[in-house]
Amino acid sequence: MTRLTRRQTLKSAVATAAVTVFGGALGSIRPAAAATDITAVEWGGDVVTAMKQIEAKQDKVKVNWVLHQGGSGAILPKIKATWPKAEYDYVAGWEGSFNGMIKEDWLVPVTVETVPNLADIPKKIIVKDAKGEWMAVPRAVGGIYFAYRKDISPVEVKSIEDLFAPSLKGKVVWPGPTQSMMLQIVALALHAGGNEKNMDPGWALMKKLAQTGNIGRIAVTDTDFTTSLTSGETAVGFFSEPQLTAVAKSFPLVRLTKQEGMPTFLYQSGFAIFKNRPNLKATLEFVNFCISPEMSNLYAEVAGEAPLNVKSKTPDALKHLAFTPAEMDKYVYVPDFNVVLSQQDAWTKRWENEIAPLL
Amino acid sequence: MKPDRGSLPLLLPAGGVFLGLFFLPMAGLFIESFRLYQPGSIGSAANAPFTLTNYAELLTPAFADFFLETMRISLLASLAGLLFAFPLAYWITRRFSPRGRAIAVGFFVTLMFLSVLVRTYALELTFGATGPLRPFLQALGIALNGRPYIETLVGGGLLHYIVPMATLTLLGTIQNVDPRLVDAAQALGAPGWKAHLTITVPLCMRGLLAAFLFAFTFSISAFVIPMILGKGRVLFISNLVYNRFSEIADYPSGAAISMVLFFVALAIVYVTSRQVNKRWTS
Amino acid sequence: MSGRALDNGLRLLGLVMIGVIVCFLVTPIFVTAVMAFDARPYLGPLPPPALSLRWFAKFFSDDYFLRGLGTSVELAVLSVTVSVCVGVATAIAVERASFRGKEALISFFLSPLIVPPVVTGFALLLFLSKMGVINGFARLLCGHIIITAPYTIRATLAGLSGIDVSLTEAALSLGATERHAFWDVTFPLARTGIVSGAIFAFAVSMDDVAVSIMLTDANTYTLPVALISSMRANFDLSIAAASVMLMLLTLALIVVLDKFVGLNRAIGQGVFRS
Repeated sequence: MTRLTRRQTLKSAVATAAVTVFGGALGSIRPAAAATDITAVEWGGDVVTAMKQIEAKQDKVKVNWVLHQGGSGAILPKIKATWPKAEYDYVAGWEGSFNGMIKEDWLVPVTVETVPNLADIPKKIIVKDAKGEWMAVPRAVGGIYFAYRKDISPVEVKSIEDLFAPSLKGKVVWPGPTQSMMLQIVALALHAGGNEKNMDPGWALMKKLAQTGNIGRIAVTDTDFTTSLTSGETAVGFFSEPQLTAVAKSFPLVRLTKQEGMPTFLYQSGFAIFKNRPNLKATLEFVNFCISPEMSNLYAEVAGEAPLNVKSKTPDALKHLAFTPAEMDKYVYVPDFNVVLSQQDAWTKRWENEIAPLL
Repeated sequence: MKPDRGSLPLLLPAGGVFLGLFFLPMAGLFIESFRLYQPGSIGSAANAPFTLTNYAELLTPAFADFFLETMRISLLASLAGLLFAFPLAYWITRRFSPRGRAIAVGFFVTLMFLSVLVRTYALELTFGATGPLRPFLQALGIALNGRPYIETLVGGGLLHYIVPMATLTLLGTIQNVDPRLVDAAQALGAPGWKAHLTITVPLCMRGLLAAFLFAFTFSISAFVIPMILGKGRVLFISNLVYNRFSEIADYPSGAAISMVLFFVALAIVYVTSRQVNKRWTS
Repeated sequence: MSGRALDNGLRLLGLVMIGVIVCFLVTPIFVTAVMAFDARPYLGPLPPPALSLRWFAKFFSDDYFLRGLGTSVELAVLSVTVSVCVGVATAIAVERASFRGKEALISFFLSPLIVPPVVTGFALLLFLSKMGVINGFARLLCGHIIITAPYTIRATLAGLSGIDVSLTEAALSLGATERHAFWDVTFPLARTGIVSGAIFAFAVSMDDVAVSIMLTDANTYTLPVALISSMRANFDLSIAAASVMLMLLTLALIVVLDKFVGLNRAIGQGVFRS
């Protein structure tokens, strides 16, 4: 610990010296009010680029950006290891990772008083704890759905039945058991007349799909999925927004978000704000700034996830995620996340025992 | 060899390092592996009750298959690695000029610094389903999406790491073998292959053992190589562990799998070392 | 004379095997080089339609990567130094002594390699946190020592194993002290083993992702971790560019070493060379 403090002290000493020397010149550029330092965990790639642009539009906080290493779950053991000492002011995450953090009682509840812009976010989507308190601030929404590369797919995929077409041998990329909260099996269950509470039809269909030999790759990481599609190894898949957007940037990708019989799921990307941190107020202010209508627009443009703030506008590139209420009812399936998340462990083990040997 | 008590203090640094950085942490994990996991939480609770569930869950035919597959591919890749590395190392030591030897060593050392991730993707792009070798492989009647080919690719990925590692390990060993022994045997009328089999190979046995153990332990704990080249379909034990340590956060179950792997692999390593040492050095 | 014919056949087979394996080993180097210059923003099929320097530019324009590189080098140098010292001491002790359970001890020293690195990292994280060690660099150093030490111990042992005990005994009987016998006889002969162990250790430390991911903190991270973290959706070919540069750097170091010390001298030549 001494090492770190010494380094920080040294850094601030150098900074002080620099300010003293160049103070006159710099003073006119940067406002005199010192920014508060906060440490935030974000995803790499487009997301952190977007967040850095948002950071540059304000001067109240200065963010030390730490990146998620792999999935959003990789950070959890590290936080748990040092708890109750917290290293991060906020951690970007989604339903899948918020759930565990809430159970561990790491997060600060949020309200319209502390984060006023929450007033413009649909209440339904906000993650709540057992007592009904709001536990995370949603900033954007993305889809988890079926898509295919029009240029190389041998069939035009219109329904789940098409995934079984003999011409798709080895051409389907399927999320692994830790990906997409296993909604892929829920999708199959819905098709076969079940749902997240009645998964047996879904597992039966999954077995059938595995036996066709159509699944060419099981994607275990996000880049695994993207690479499989961009390299042309596979042509059809079920995955979430950032990966599909990355493929769509370079290839004609048909996104089946509004296709009857092919369920679309939505996930939220947002901020989990941590307890036991000195600069809570500044963190809340920054998070509030991030979900303002303008910053929501900026985030959507750069990061490629649709804004949630009702006063902001979904960019054209994300039209597949703009649903009218009627479309919402028809195509989007909202599972009971409590059930989905509490079953992850059991579903993973079921996958390993029943599906993996068939692949 | 004589007993030499004087050199035992030399074991202290290693003892400290292994105790503090490996043995005690693993003991912590061992305890974790008996904790009851509450689905949805991150690892086990601080005072979770003890249970055997995490181990009982592993008693399935599917898990036995994952285990055997890991062992089988690792064993074959390690043996193949030695089969390639031994002649290679021999050639470099005995037939190359000092200059050529330096170049060869430079090549292997450079190869060691090729990132595993990049290396594996390079292999996937070359030999995978979209690689330039595709027409050729298909003409040979190989199903690129078939399980045998995918398993071979995983083995190939491991081999790519094993061969440089084994070659470098064996260089030192072969250098220390007196070439006059083989010459003498041949002068006495033994054919070259027999001279090598009865003289060079036994003298290199401990080097071969070291190379084999590097290769085997590297293989069974490999993660990136089976993940990418196995297309998520050929699963190694480490991939199962990763499933539990990633989003699911079921650490007790991951710990239990690690423990099973650890003890089985340690037994294999121990028995192999013991047998080899017993047979070949006395 | 059939023995001779078999010899020739086997020699030919050996040559063919060497040829095949060398081709196999070289291929990914070329492919990686091609990947590093690929102009496409994603990982696509070979060959790339256009080439560019974008990944190199990206690597150098990003302070995040360069800081990671600094930490990686610092970490590799420190952990390899520790591991080599530990390895040499251990190998000598094990080689000289003959006590019951020697194989068990050797197997034990190899055991960190058996455990998937993600497990080693995780176990270490929990343990070090309990001990109150939460500084990222200290944690990483611990992790890198434990994953590199088995290599240095094993490789040094392998290097020592071929050495005829009679050589050391001869030196001792000629009046050399124990220490001289070690530095003048044993050490030069074991050098190949020590150096190859150090090389493995260095390469393992520079390339490790799985252990490091568990041990980084908000301010300290290694280059491979930085490269992995910078990818979310698309495969970022900066990692290929980094790998090409690391290989070139290795090559340059080897050339320099060869020029000034002589590579053969550095790695040792063993007792016998024909």
